[in-house]
Amino acid sequence: MTRNHIKLWTGLGSFTCVAAVATPPATVDVPVFDAAPGPMLAQGGEGGEGEMPSSYRLLSADPQTYGFDVRPQVQHYAKLVHTSYRAAVAGAVQMQSAIQAMLDQPSAETLAAARANWVAARPAYLVTEVFRFYDGPIDVGADGAPGPEPRINAWPLNEAHIDAVRGQPRAGLVWDAAVPLTREGILARDQVSDEADVTSGWHAIEFLLWGQDFNPAGPGERPHSDYLPGTSDRDRRRLYLATVTEMLVTDLRALEAAWAPDADNYRQRFLALEPREALGRAINGAANLVGHELAAERLSVALDSGDQEDEHSCFSDSTHQDHLYDLRGAQNLWLGSSGDATLPDSLRALTQKIDPALAARTDALFTQALAAVALMDQPFETILRAAPGSPPRQRAEAAVAALQALGAQLARVGKRLGVLVIVPGIDTATG
Amino acid sequence: MNARFGFLLLAAALGACAIATLPPPAPVGDKLGGDAGRPAFGQAAFSLPAPNLDAQQLRDFAFGNRLFNTNWVQVGSSTASFDGLGPLFNRVSCSGCHVRDGRGRPPEPGEAMDSMLVRISVPGRDAHGGPLPHPVYGDQIQDRAIPGVPAEARVVIEWEELPGQYADGERFSLRRPKISFADAAYGPLGADVLTSPRVAQAMIGLGLLEAVPDADLLARTDPDDADGDGISGRVNRVWDAASGQLAVGRFGWKSNQPNLRQQVAGAAAGDIGITTTLAKADACTESQSTCRTAPAGGEPEMSEVFLDKLLLYSRTLAVPERRSSDPQQMREGEALFSSAGCAACHVPTLRTGAHELAAVAHQTIHPFTDVLLHDMGEGLADGRPDFEGSGREWRTAPLWGLGLLHTVNGHELLLHDGRARGIAEAILWHGGEADRAAKKFRGLSKRERDTLIEFLRSL
Repeated sequence: MTRNHIKLWTGLGSFTCVAAVATPPATVDVPVFDAAPGPMLAQGGEGGEGEMPSSYRLLSADPQTYGFDVRPQVQHYAKLVHTSYRAAVAGAVQMQSAIQAMLDQPSAETLAAARANWVAARPAYLVTEVFRFYDGPIDVGADGAPGPEPRINAWPLNEAHIDAVRGQPRAGLVWDAAVPLTREGILARDQVSDEADVTSGWHAIEFLLWGQDFNPAGPGERPHSDYLPGTSDRDRRRLYLATVTEMLVTDLRALEAAWAPDADNYRQRFLALEPREALGRAINGAANLVGHELAAERLSVALDSGDQEDEHSCFSDSTHQDHLYDLRGAQNLWLGSSGDATLPDSLRALTQKIDPALAARTDALFTQALAAVALMDQPFETILRAAPGSPPRQRAEAAVAALQALGAQLARVGKRLGVLVIVPGIDTATG
Repeated sequence: MNARFGFLLLAAALGACAIATLPPPAPVGDKLGGDAGRPAFGQAAFSLPAPNLDAQQLRDFAFGNRLFNTNWVQVGSSTASFDGLGPLFNRVSCSGCHVRDGRGRPPEPGEAMDSMLVRISVPGRDAHGGPLPHPVYGDQIQDRAIPGVPAEARVVIEWEELPGQYADGERFSLRRPKISFADAAYGPLGADVLTSPRVAQAMIGLGLLEAVPDADLLARTDPDDADGDGISGRVNRVWDAASGQLAVGRFGWKSNQPNLRQQVAGAAAGDIGITTTLAKADACTESQSTCRTAPAGGEPEMSEVFLDKLLLYSRTLAVPERRSSDPQQMREGEALFSSAGCAACHVPTLRTGAHELAAVAHQTIHPFTDVLLHDMGEGLADGRPDFEGSGREWRTAPLWGLGLLHTVNGHELLLHDGRARGIAEAILWHGGEADRAAKKFRGLSKRERDTLIEFLRSL
């Protein structure tokens, strides 16, 4: 998700000679212990990617401290990212078929099917959100420009920028016949003067399928007649929905391509990084997703605000699955796949080999966080409306605490594996 | 062989990392923000919380961040907690100007004015000694408004190039803005309007600056230049709305705000049109009738609880630690900074005192400012007095974070109106009390100038 200005909460730390000046000479000039054939870190802490500084690798004077190979985990991570994006594409393509079927024959049934496919397609995307927060392809484009994330999942969105809302019956691009509803026309008006003026992505599609949610007990109730052809606004709404759906599929395919094996792409550069730097990116993504993005941005901020605007998927009332599958994404990274805890090249397997107690504690905190998130009331807006101290809020606060504990634990795992993890908002192992 | 040459040779022989074994470290270390600073780089370098906050404060910081990024909407939307935009405003969010908690800039040709504004007034003083607001347009031009209310005017900036050269013959060119207004919706502004264009300032380390005791600022003042170094240094005395009396000013380009609470509330009301208990009225003057009759989004529009969290956020954005790939050059640059006289006003080290927020109290910090007003010469003068600050005086700008500005905001446009295209131009603009230092800079060799700038970029 993007909350207004995109804030990339990345891991930090500069282990250059400058930093060493202030510390005992024992930490100075440490060799890299992995026998990595790839590019080594330059003395100034530069990684293998032009200007991108080395941010995540911890240094130690003791050759035994990190004397184990993390390359299998890095390789495996790249594989996981690729298969995850491939699944996200598949889900989005299936949703696109259902949306097309609705546009071909608008009815209450086809609209319901399109909505069901949106809800069904989300989890496969949500589990990829753990691949954020380290300036990977989702966040930063190959040319250093912003990545596709704001086009894919920007939120919150000012729905009146897209289509009519209560009290503004002719609002938005749908009603502005001067705006060409092409990819270019829509992107040219995306988040220009206001970061909430979102025009594309999951939540734009969500608003187009459900409409505004004024129903305290359920989601939005846009009628299927909004999609009957024949009037200018309805024709434009049909075109808008088809165009932004196609844009989403295109952007997800590009992410899949960025992680495809044996190509000149981000994956290739990622695998050429000093392995602990690469591992650092992976773990920072997970720790920041869990400990900051979920615990703070999505939960504690929403609880402190009490405003429906802080509900991530507010039109469809499916915010609970946003939380759950984001967390499952982090668990996938830990286990190396969805569900199978025995993969030999997983982060968990490596941690277990080095520090079984740390691995067991991490397992336990994943279990606790998943349980706490599952126990939260649905739809999420009922929690926001609940009084302070009421059981729904207590359950949500328990989830916040569990996510913070897990975020801090992932930082500890990172530290044990030679990786600096910093998560704003929780006490982390800063090395 | 002189000692310095020997030192260089030794350093080269041992490699940069061996410097730890050589003479004592530079006077200013890496931790510019004390315990409220942290290592930081990349686009988010200005956006991180101080690492010494407790769990509740970190949570409030996260909410403050949400408020800082909130796009306030007009009254009547479904987001009742975050409505009340305008009627007149400059941007719809704090982060609209302070992009990624960083610094604003003047617009490029054809761009809207997105991260700066123009303060206006007419000659005279208001009841508290501050600038006398323009009778029709108030004290700043709001170039945007909600539907049904005319935006005040569009600010037009034209640039004039002023060529010059260094002592070694290298040429440079400085640019000076000329401000005018187009589409003035409430009648002409008149010939006597005073204008002061100001870019949004970076948000890092503000709580630390707030925690420097008044007495320490006053101790550095030298209004009559009794020590004869050509540098006076004065505190501004400004209106403190909460206490109802004058107080030492320390925030804003002319130190025209006494504390962050008033600074934040003032910006919310003036720039976004969001009222608080401290700034109860939107920026509508008597003659702006549609502005005055537009509905309010609550009284106040931002609750006290929200304002407290926004204040905590504004106080605790971490100061990035220093970074450099070349410690030797950095140290040489620091020596040049000092010998040229820059450090007389850009004071490297201050101590914070007691503060209601423990995280910023009792820290040794390196903001490179004395937080005082100085006469900066006619070239930089805006001719618009602000409380005790004259039209030629400006507050010494803190230099921490300077080297990350390009990373965070994609530009290095400096000074109050963003006229300086890089550090060198900013130094060259220094006049008045800083004239001597600027002259020294013009007299440095190319290598020395680069070394000085490299030092500044390590901050």
